[in-house]
Amino acid sequence: MKGFTTRAIHGGGGPEAHGSLRVPIYDSVAFEQESADSMRSAFMGRKAAHVYTRITNPTVQDFERKMQLLSGGMATIATSSGMAAISNTLIALGGAGKNIVTSRYLFGNTLSLFEKTFAAWGLQVKYVAMSNAREVEAAIDAETCAVFMESITNPQLEVADCREIGAITQKHGVPLVVDNTLMTPYIFNTRQAGIDIEIISTTKYISGGATSVGGLVIDNGLFDWSQAAKFKERAGKFGKMAFIAALRQEVYRNTGACLAPHNAYLQSLGLETMALRIDRSCQNARHLAKYLAQQPEVKGVNYPGLPESLYYETATRQFGDKYGGVITFDLASIDQCFAFMDALKLVRRATNINDNKTLILHPDSTIFAEYSAEEKRHMGIRPTMLRLSAGIEDHEDIFADLQRGIEAL
Amino acid sequence: MRITINGEVEDIEAKDVTIARLLEIKKVESPDMVSVQVNGTIIEREQYGVKVIAENDELEFLYFMGGGAI
Repeated sequence: MKGFTTRAIHGGGGPEAHGSLRVPIYDSVAFEQESADSMRSAFMGRKAAHVYTRITNPTVQDFERKMQLLSGGMATIATSSGMAAISNTLIALGGAGKNIVTSRYLFGNTLSLFEKTFAAWGLQVKYVAMSNAREVEAAIDAETCAVFMESITNPQLEVADCREIGAITQKHGVPLVVDNTLMTPYIFNTRQAGIDIEIISTTKYISGGATSVGGLVIDNGLFDWSQAAKFKERAGKFGKMAFIAALRQEVYRNTGACLAPHNAYLQSLGLETMALRIDRSCQNARHLAKYLAQQPEVKGVNYPGLPESLYYETATRQFGDKYGGVITFDLASIDQCFAFMDALKLVRRATNINDNKTLILHPDSTIFAEYSAEEKRHMGIRPTMLRLSAGIEDHEDIFADLQRGIEAL
Repeated sequence: MRITINGEVEDIEAKDVTIARLLEIKKVESPDMVSVQVNGTIIEREQYGVKVIAENDELEFLYFMGGGAI
């Protein structure tokens, strides 16, 4: 099976009871073991067995296997959300006195996790311009536990060269963690780009119409965990699987970050049509970006698929002919942004991306509201900016609705 | 061929058995969550289809899907 969608539909689990064509939802917290000795073996890691859904579950495992197959990664863990995937990964990698090298151009909740939650526990953040490789390299020191970036930043839509950053992190023996939510393995294969760990919020493209919240951690099997003090002991037992074993046996288990079986089922279902939806969403986004760029009321359009974008060349080299479904654009004022949003009848005012529905949001007053004007300026968040996530509706209908917004200005 | 898996002696009928084949023969339900050691050496995942086991090999299957400490 070579094709992405063929693998998404047919890959994953083995034969099911009753010839069921789908792995059913195993809505069971615990799983009975055949004997006390067998139970001990399962707990001691000497027998393959589902024991408790907070650690593993057959429906969740089927989703993990499908994603592993599609991404080409070595090992996968499904989490309760994208933020759970990020927090679990960095809790596993870091600790007090360590630091993460990253950009200020990040999803708002990720920034909040780094600056507020992690800082309180002594895990520091060093900010760099991710598209400046020399700056990234200069920031790495002996205490750096990870370099963290987004393959396309949300909502600034910056595209840094992942291969270039990967070469630097490899040289310094630091794992590179990339949030690939906006692209998914369908557009961007992180393993081929030399990225060590891929994070995905499966809530977005994968869930298939915003049905359920979820996340993924994929270890691409490229990093030598035996060189990291925190993983040395586990590397002695699990080799390249040391990081994923540390997550499963410790951080993921102890923080209760598991994906609900019902959500895993919905997301496995969503995966089957994901490539079709992404094709349409990216096509719509490109149409919408061009349309918005032609409107005199629109003061600027930011989309890496526009040839005039600062990131067009890097994005094309990295992602081919798909540039994601998210666009940002600027109007003359906040009042105009609000008037535009309020005039829309088809496009929904909601905080999500990569839904089947086209969604709009004013980042400055919503997901970045907790930050000061000065902080937002550093994060590339302008009060005049709107974020549009292209859905899969017929693009003529989206144009007609955006025209309503333009006419309200 | 006689080998030992997790301390238990086992007779394997087939020849030229790789780790991947052994996991199939032993009907390991979650091969994606097992680490394999042969005579104390970890066999990395990409070698599962290549590494052939030999008479008297001592293997350890270590799973990370259980509920307790490993």
